Amino acid sequence: MTCPLGLLESMFTIGVRYCGGCNPQIDRSRVVKDLEEGLRKIGLPVDFTTAKERLADVILLVNGCKHACFEAKQGESDRGHTVISVRGEMVDEQYVKEGDIVKMLIQRICSFL
Amino acid sequence: MSMMTGREYIESLRAINPEVYFLGQRIKCIVDEPMFQPHLHAAAMTYELAHHPEYEEIMTATSHLTGEKINRFTHVHHSIDDLVKKVRMMRLLGQKTGTCFQRCVGLDGLNAIYVTTYDIDQKYGTDYHERFKKYLLEVQKKDWMPAGAMTDARGDRSLRPSRQKHPDVYLRIKKRLKDGIIVSGTKAHITGAINSHEIITMPTRTMTEEDKDYAVSFAIPANTKGILFVFSRQTNDTRRLDGILDAGNPKYGIVGGEAIIIFQDVFVPWERVFMAGEYDFTTELVETFAGYHRSNYGGCKVGLADVVIGGSRWIAEAHGLGKASHIIDKLTEMIAMAETCWSCTLACSYEGYRTPSGAYHINPLLANVTKLNITRMVYEWMRVGQDIAGGKIITLPSERDLNSPVSGKVLEECFSGKDGVPPRDIIKMLRLIENMSVGAGLPEAMHGAGSPAAQKIMIERRSGLEKKMELAETVAGISKDKYFESIIGKDEKAHWDEVRKKIEEHKAQIY
Repeated sequence: MTCPLGLLESMFTIGVRYCGGCNPQIDRSRVVKDLEEGLRKIGLPVDFTTAKERLADVILLVNGCKHACFEAKQGESDRGHTVISVRGEMVDEQYVKEGDIVKMLIQRICSFL
Repeated sequence: MSMMTGREYIESLRAINPEVYFLGQRIKCIVDEPMFQPHLHAAAMTYELAHHPEYEEIMTATSHLTGEKINRFTHVHHSIDDLVKKVRMMRLLGQKTGTCFQRCVGLDGLNAIYVTTYDIDQKYGTDYHERFKKYLLEVQKKDWMPAGAMTDARGDRSLRPSRQKHPDVYLRIKKRLKDGIIVSGTKAHITGAINSHEIITMPTRTMTEEDKDYAVSFAIPANTKGILFVFSRQTNDTRRLDGILDAGNPKYGIVGGEAIIIFQDVFVPWERVFMAGEYDFTTELVETFAGYHRSNYGGCKVGLADVVIGGSRWIAEAHGLGKASHIIDKLTEMIAMAETCWSCTLACSYEGYRTPSGAYHINPLLANVTKLNITRMVYEWMRVGQDIAGGKIITLPSERDLNSPVSGKVLEECFSGKDGVPPRDIIKMLRLIENMSVGAGLPEAMHGAGSPAAQKIMIERRSGLEKKMELAETVAGISKDKYFESIIGKDEKAHWDEVRKKIEEHKAQIY
């Protein structure tokens, strides 16, 4: 997979927001870690941050299950941003197996560049 | 759009006049037949309460298609609040009827087909979802009660549908025409079938490519040429013809009034077909329907429990035992079981999620746990109800003997309780408990919406056992525990080495 890196003028920032993780269907931390590695492998300089006050190009909501309770609690500061929501074995409105979540996220992120 | 009242619903069935058989006879008019009237009254309650302001908030919804007020039984859930109100509606109607009010099967069928047709169209570029939305609009506009017909007769369970000796044990597409399909086959145990305006069919199991003609879903008027209904027997069903007092629940009957639906070369136009061969979506349709339907049981059966708990307390008080500690203990057991099931169904609704179609689905794991509990606890709380009511519930005399000049007076004296309680009221209540706890309602709680084995399959599939093993490995110290290492501020191995050393150093002091 390749990304149009030429369009990037500065470090791309992904604001990561985790749900509380009460009974997750997926390993949320691993998804984020694998995503970071996957983006690095295709040469995309990405900065991941969980600091809510930092500006981000994309907000990644990492919900452990389809109920996606964090979507309702998403912070006011994130409104107006591009948001990708992992909802257990779903990414936004698409069903996806846990092993394919990262691949789908990379496709989504690249589509914004 | 207009919502029918209970009376209007019953009258609307006159115009349909489906081909119904019972005890070997063709029933000319189901509306006027005393055998069926209790079932009609129970279903009518789903219409009636929508017109009463004290129940309007639960019984009605706002259509996502038109923005207009509709009966919730025709609504596609579009929020967690909708899912919760749905099960609140089930409990309410269980409380009001003491039996099955039948209309939830069609409601769940509408929702499951809505969700699945969207996903089929995404994959195959078909237009099932748009077709279905037009149908749904008609259902809402006319306030129809569609019967949800999923379970096939099924024949030899070890054989796939296409391998059956008798092809009609499963509903299937026989011919595909330019303007529609021809179907034949048999659906069994279909709740509320004879008093529904429409029949909506769904496959009963996962189909494979060889069974693709069995992967079929459609909606059709109940009086379509080629459809006939055979009404099923229930325990003590003809008692309602012997005497009103004998029936137990003469107003609303016992369970749903199930029927076998036989389709004989029935034509279905394409605009009413929502699946025709997409066998790879049969699992989704079946599981989505089952999830919705299994969640309902934690509502309706708990409503029934409210009635039987109240009846048990009433009987105890009528016999002067209302304050006996063993009675209070038994009633408390019944209440705790019922509220456990209620907690399950509320949980599976609050933990619901938005599907790609925009409709909301319940949490399938918790819905299956709800239903599995129901298959056990209904038996248990009915057993305790029987315990409180006493042996009278299976030895009561008939209404005719109560009315007899020879035996009536002495019988009434035999069944008297505390002063001031009319003996016939005691008999009425005992008959109600008999109706609810002895009859067809128990196996209905077991097998309705699928048998316990079906729930266990779903629970096992959805429980995330692999993740649970990972949790155990972490706690046991087999795999890395980064949070523990953060607490102790070092590598776990180094920590345990230090602990061992300390134990050795302080061994003499401890021992």
